[in-house]
Amino acid sequence: MKKGIVFDIKEFAVHDGPGIRTTVFLKGCPLRCSWCHNPEGISPKPQILHTPIGTRLAGEEYTPRGLADLLNQQATFLTENEGGVTFSGGEPLFQADFLIETIALLDEIHLLLDTSGYAPTQDFARLAARVDLIYLDMKSLDAQVFRQYCGGDLAVILANLEQLKTMSTPVVIRAPLIPGVTDSIQNMTAIARAAASLPTLQRVDLLAYQVLAAAKYPLAGLSYNPGFDEKRSPQIHGETFDKAGIPWRVV
Amino acid sequence: MNERLTNLRQRVRQRQQTDERTTPAPDVWAECEAQKLGWMQRSAQRTRRMCEAERPVIWPEERIVFTRTIPETPPIYTESQIAEMTRGRILHELGPISNICADWGAVLADGLLTRRRIAQAARQRLADNPEAVEFLDAAIETIEAVLGLAARYAEAARAAGRRDLAEILEHVPAQAPRTFHEALQSLRLLQAVVWLSGHYHVGLGRFDQYMWPYLWADLQTGRLDLPAAEELVADFFIALNKDSDLYPGVQQGDNGQSLMLGGVTPRGEDAVNELTSMVLRAARDLSMIDPKINLRISTQTDLELLSLAAELTRKGLGFPQYSNDDLVIPALTAHGYDLEDARNYTVAACWEFIIPGKGMEVVNIGAVSFPHAVDQAIRQGLRQNEDFDAILERIRTNIRDQTEARLADYRKLFLPPAPYYSVLMDGCLATGRDLSHGLRYNNFGLHGAASANAADALAAVKRFVFEEKSLPPAELIAALEADFEGYADLRDALSHQAPKVANRDALADEMLVFLFDCFADACEGQPPNPRGGILRPGTGSAMYYVWLARGREAMREPVVGATADGRRSGDFFSANLAPSLGVRADSPLKVFESFSKIDYRRICNGGPVTIELSDSVFRNQEVIRKVAMLVRSFARMGGQQLQINSLNAETLFAARQHPERYPNLIVRVWGWSGYFCELAPEYQDHIIQRCLYQMAE
Repeated sequence: MKKGIVFDIKEFAVHDGPGIRTTVFLKGCPLRCSWCHNPEGISPKPQILHTPIGTRLAGEEYTPRGLADLLNQQATFLTENEGGVTFSGGEPLFQADFLIETIALLDEIHLLLDTSGYAPTQDFARLAARVDLIYLDMKSLDAQVFRQYCGGDLAVILANLEQLKTMSTPVVIRAPLIPGVTDSIQNMTAIARAAASLPTLQRVDLLAYQVLAAAKYPLAGLSYNPGFDEKRSPQIHGETFDKAGIPWRVV
Repeated sequence: MNERLTNLRQRVRQRQQTDERTTPAPDVWAECEAQKLGWMQRSAQRTRRMCEAERPVIWPEERIVFTRTIPETPPIYTESQIAEMTRGRILHELGPISNICADWGAVLADGLLTRRRIAQAARQRLADNPEAVEFLDAAIETIEAVLGLAARYAEAARAAGRRDLAEILEHVPAQAPRTFHEALQSLRLLQAVVWLSGHYHVGLGRFDQYMWPYLWADLQTGRLDLPAAEELVADFFIALNKDSDLYPGVQQGDNGQSLMLGGVTPRGEDAVNELTSMVLRAARDLSMIDPKINLRISTQTDLELLSLAAELTRKGLGFPQYSNDDLVIPALTAHGYDLEDARNYTVAACWEFIIPGKGMEVVNIGAVSFPHAVDQAIRQGLRQNEDFDAILERIRTNIRDQTEARLADYRKLFLPPAPYYSVLMDGCLATGRDLSHGLRYNNFGLHGAASANAADALAAVKRFVFEEKSLPPAELIAALEADFEGYADLRDALSHQAPKVANRDALADEMLVFLFDCFADACEGQPPNPRGGILRPGTGSAMYYVWLARGREAMREPVVGATADGRRSGDFFSANLAPSLGVRADSPLKVFESFSKIDYRRICNGGPVTIELSDSVFRNQEVIRKVAMLVRSFARMGGQQLQINSLNAETLFAARQHPERYPNLIVRVWGWSGYFCELAPEYQDHIIQRCLYQMAE
């Protein structure tokens, strides 16, 4: 069995989807977003975090059976409370085989995939087909900006968007509002257009940028260089979505 | 809240009522000495003289009146006289009867004139019984004092052109209220005089039950609509905040004005009504420290009601506190409470379950220090090369010894007479017996303090010393004696690698359950107290999370140094039922799972599981509902009592630095909420430490 690396399992997660959820944070991410708020999730390997209250290991190895057993114990509680399990990261698709194996062992429970969409289309498609809801990050639809701030090729994401149009899994677009980077009217218009093209779209969530992230970088032995003015409040172009008839909210 | 209420609230928060405190206290002691009065008569004399001396205050924006103008409560004996008269006995805390709950519903419904008639009839019947006559005369004196005070307020209202108020005060508390407004005014006056009489921790009981008939009638006749009624509730609550700085407690805010909502009726039917949610809304909108809101829940409680309660939690007031009827009622009946009474329970100042009007219980006679029991057993047992079972036996013995010592003190308890409070209880007037002689329930309660630290310490020893044999006993003892100076690695291992309560660790949980089983055995093994009551073991800590760690003058409980859970000497314990400070407990479910294992049929004095949620959790209405579901899950998992705090560490730090900028910051301290900036530094520190490890986000 393929083993996976998990850097946190958060119970009573109340902001990661419907109901009360348990969120599994899978370690490792192919992107390098300058504003990343889980820097300890970037490296695929276990690492020691140096926190003000002592050191802590981030990154524990699980077998699919081990993780599934742990989650199955909570299944009744999560279902009773209108929730389920959210797979987040890092980038959960970075460990797609592990995730597929784990999901196969889970009891009946609502599953949410919280992904950047940055993965081979084959992986994206098979995981997307196995979950009940997808939270799809949409940072910038400008290839140049995406490369500069996230270190990736936008074509990968566009391919998965095309894939998603053919699928029946409900999707929520999540757009982080990074001041001066992603919050422009042009980017929001592009995101609204992309969102409108998804037949299973539920809504768009605009994520107001959290300054708190900066505090976590030193813990993971990283320095924080976001490359934008983090003190500035992001612009919120809700009207763009209103015009496209897309439900949206700020979270 | 409308403009009038906003202004009134503001006025009270600015403490303008303190400008009214210009009336000198009557010299009750000198008067009593001159008349050579006994204790019973002096108690009545103080109530009467305080009522006579109070100057009516009527603010134009007020609709529920009474403001203290005498800041002190004059003594009726000198300290040396009291010492002389109680030689060989002990007084509970400050002495006067406290921390019980009157039979507010029956008193309101009777009115004081009816109560006086009952007292007069009993006096005729018991004319041959001098003790009864003395009590009944004293009780009648206090009734007349309250009637006199009401009459003077009525006159003052007329003089101020407030015919509305005058008509109310000419009717109540003498007679049964005709309206919800009258009921609230009657309660305000009746309760205020309990404070004036020198009592404290004066609880309000099941407000939504005994007030509901008056509100219901007004709604039926159209005299009130819901918003108008809610406005009156807010008026009443603001009034409760006026004088709370004059009420004695360990800290400012610790005043025991608890109010209970929800639950079932004495017949077992759902007791939730329109007033239940109205109180939650009013308390939410006011955001003041009084009254302390409690809500009785069960697995059946409506999610809408729990959501409203969660909105109150979101305000950061540290209440409501939840009590689970599914566990509390059977525990009370198993301890000798009649089913109808058990169903009618409320809480004392903090969390202890008591029966309104029928309990003269002393629910906090002290604490058993679990860390002391475990620490003594570890140090002595390891020195003697004992096995783990022998250490457990030592703990069992120590807990029993502590329990007996606390009870031994209280076998000598002296309760002073309380004629006015007796007027408000069930049956005292009819039988001619002051409540200090006992009521239907006369039990004692004992806190089981700092259980998580103790269970962690015990689990660490079991794991490292006995199972893994990785820690030589001598090294542990040396490290404890050195307060871990020079043993940083060992301390780190004990703090971070040992089994911990609230971490889904079977060993730590087993130790926790063991401690409470020993405690229950110890309490159940005690003979009845002098008034026939039992000893109820509880899960609360009150202020002992600080006192047992740092000591306190005249404290009877033992203080403990460094402990095997990695805690250094002087560091705080966790409050009530909560993971030890510094333990990473990242899930409320893990906390619930550990503490739900305690046998609450036996551990029945109360004491809440206490969790901190970051205020960032409460981002939107959707999350409110999730917090409500969390509370429902607590009941389903078999938790007894729960308190949720919403805190923000940065705000607390800032308030510590700039108290002047945070006058309204409210925090839950142990069983009560107070203004953060009015607390002593050690309590502020503990709250900051608690929320450094807070869960979620």
